[in-house]
Amino acid sequence: MTDSKSLIALFDESTKTAEAVDALHAFGIPEDKLTVMTGVPYPEQAIGRHRTWLRLPYIVLAGAVGGFFVGLFLAVITPHLYRLDVGGHPPAGFPPAAIIVFVFTMMATIVSTFLGVLWEMDFPRFGPAPYHKQVTDGQLAVLLEFPVGLEAEVRQLLETHQAHDVAEPERMTL
Amino acid sequence: MSEGRRPTEADQPPASAGEYDERLLLAERTDAEINQAVLQPMIQTGRGFWALVAGLGGLVAWGLFAWGYLVYWGIGVTGKNRPVYWTLFITTFVFWIGISHAGTMISAVLRLLKADWRRPITRGAEAMTAFALLMAALYPLIHLGRVWKFYWMIPYPNNRFMWPNFQSPLMWDLVAISTYLIGSSLYLYLALIPDLAMARDHTGSWRNRLYRGLALGWRGTEAEWHKLHRALGIFSVAIIPIFLSVHSIVSWDFAVTIQPRWHSTIFAPYFVVGAIYSGLAALATILVIVRRAMRLQEFLRAEHFDALAKLVMIAGLFWTYFWFSGFLVEWYGNEPVTRELIQEEVSGRLAPLFYLQMAANLIPIGLLVSRKVRTTPRLLLTATLLVNVGMYTERLLIVVGTLQRNDLPFNWGTYRPTWVEVSIVVMTFAGFALLYTLFSRIVPYVPVWEIKEGRLRYTLRRIGRLLVPTAAEIE
Repeated sequence: MTDSKSLIALFDESTKTAEAVDALHAFGIPEDKLTVMTGVPYPEQAIGRHRTWLRLPYIVLAGAVGGFFVGLFLAVITPHLYRLDVGGHPPAGFPPAAIIVFVFTMMATIVSTFLGVLWEMDFPRFGPAPYHKQVTDGQLAVLLEFPVGLEAEVRQLLETHQAHDVAEPERMTL
Repeated sequence: MSEGRRPTEADQPPASAGEYDERLLLAERTDAEINQAVLQPMIQTGRGFWALVAGLGGLVAWGLFAWGYLVYWGIGVTGKNRPVYWTLFITTFVFWIGISHAGTMISAVLRLLKADWRRPITRGAEAMTAFALLMAALYPLIHLGRVWKFYWMIPYPNNRFMWPNFQSPLMWDLVAISTYLIGSSLYLYLALIPDLAMARDHTGSWRNRLYRGLALGWRGTEAEWHKLHRALGIFSVAIIPIFLSVHSIVSWDFAVTIQPRWHSTIFAPYFVVGAIYSGLAALATILVIVRRAMRLQEFLRAEHFDALAKLVMIAGLFWTYFWFSGFLVEWYGNEPVTRELIQEEVSGRLAPLFYLQMAANLIPIGLLVSRKVRTTPRLLLTATLLVNVGMYTERLLIVVGTLQRNDLPFNWGTYRPTWVEVSIVVMTFAGFALLYTLFSRIVPYVPVWEIKEGRLRYTLRRIGRLLVPTAAEIE
């Protein structure tokens, strides 16, 4: 789609938005050329989009495993390197090691969840991006890209489904 | 967008017609009106606000001076002595750790249980957790005296051949509190991003620049919401064991010693339950104050205070059960030093504190049985303040009261705090209030997107003659 055009259309409510998205799909606009922006988290597939596959659980799992081994190293290996005998206990006892390993595993889980979701969302992203400020006021915005020649049909299709403010998207610095 | 918050079927009249019109999630407001209702009190700061900031700042400055005095002259300027090595500092440390527990309880546990009444109060609870932990984290540093030696606790190879002792509960404290602080701060921030974007879209000047930076480019695409939801779900599950572990580890600071009355297997759950009791009560106290100061009556309603106060009451009953279980076994054992300590509490020098603790912890449980107390902010404030007086006194008795007696009668002693300790303790209370006050004016205090999401779920359904609020399963 070299000569393409972008439009953004606002909708008042989700049913019309979902119908418009279905109609756009039927018209031939592919999934990756359609973005729906909302101020509220609609349930998955409510607007007619496909479920997206996430790498986040694997990132979290990898983080947790990493944290587990860091904790194990600190609690079990390093006490043998810097030996300090206290209270007749072995240098590395199971109960203290369990606490340290647990805490480091959880710390890494939390941090990897945070970094993972930022990575998945491609954040931070401060450059200009197509957006409409009315999204946070409750409007549903459909942003789409299509071949230039189809503009009239696309506009008509959107307006049939009660879209308003159909216009070229403003690229805002977010 | 009007869908989801009132019935659309012809046989379902609007929410205002029924007895449930007090419910936030059924209220008649557009999204734009909700945004403004949250942003206005945040942006408009009157003289009262700046007077409060100045007053709290003054107390913090005085506390910092006292801390500087302690650092300059040494730990001898406090009332610490043999055998009372842990004093007001550790008492207040335990208190703040306890306060931090409500945030996770409200936010993570209730999120997983899909309790919709949590929605307007989660952010206040999460902020309370983060700021209480910050205050708590100061105490180990203050208690050290030589605060500049703190880095010795960080494990890194050095030419002194010193290494932190991971078998020590104090080291467990360091890693557990750091983990909880990092976790609760990230949890707070992650859930804030959509509301920061909302604030970015509706403000100008420095606020716009700040929110633009913090919102990280959020646009509210389906993919962003999906990923955020997934991450918050993982956070909610992961942070619960952390929150349980933190106060357990704090309790083990005490329980792993052989000090009579501390060396107890029940200490960990007893501390956790006490933390939840004091944390929830503190949250109710703060919400009553913030509701009035920021005119958030529309968001923080009787239904929320009612539900929160019920949780406080249940936590109070659990605390009573754990306290009695511990007390019974110690009293029955009749071990000489324990007997002496119990006598000191029940009929000796510590009796005023003991009866204050019992009254301040037990009376609110009885008061909260009344729906009027639970739903009247002034009465609820009294009851929950009382709980925290009781819980602080409980920590004082555990830390300072217990240390005055031990297995060596020649080593018994007493403790009296100095102005330095009192000033530093006041500093952390003022510091907490200051951070919270500033926070409430810089970020949206009410989680707007969570309320809007709740409104999507809620509708009224007719069952016979009744109109019943119904939550749709949409996740």
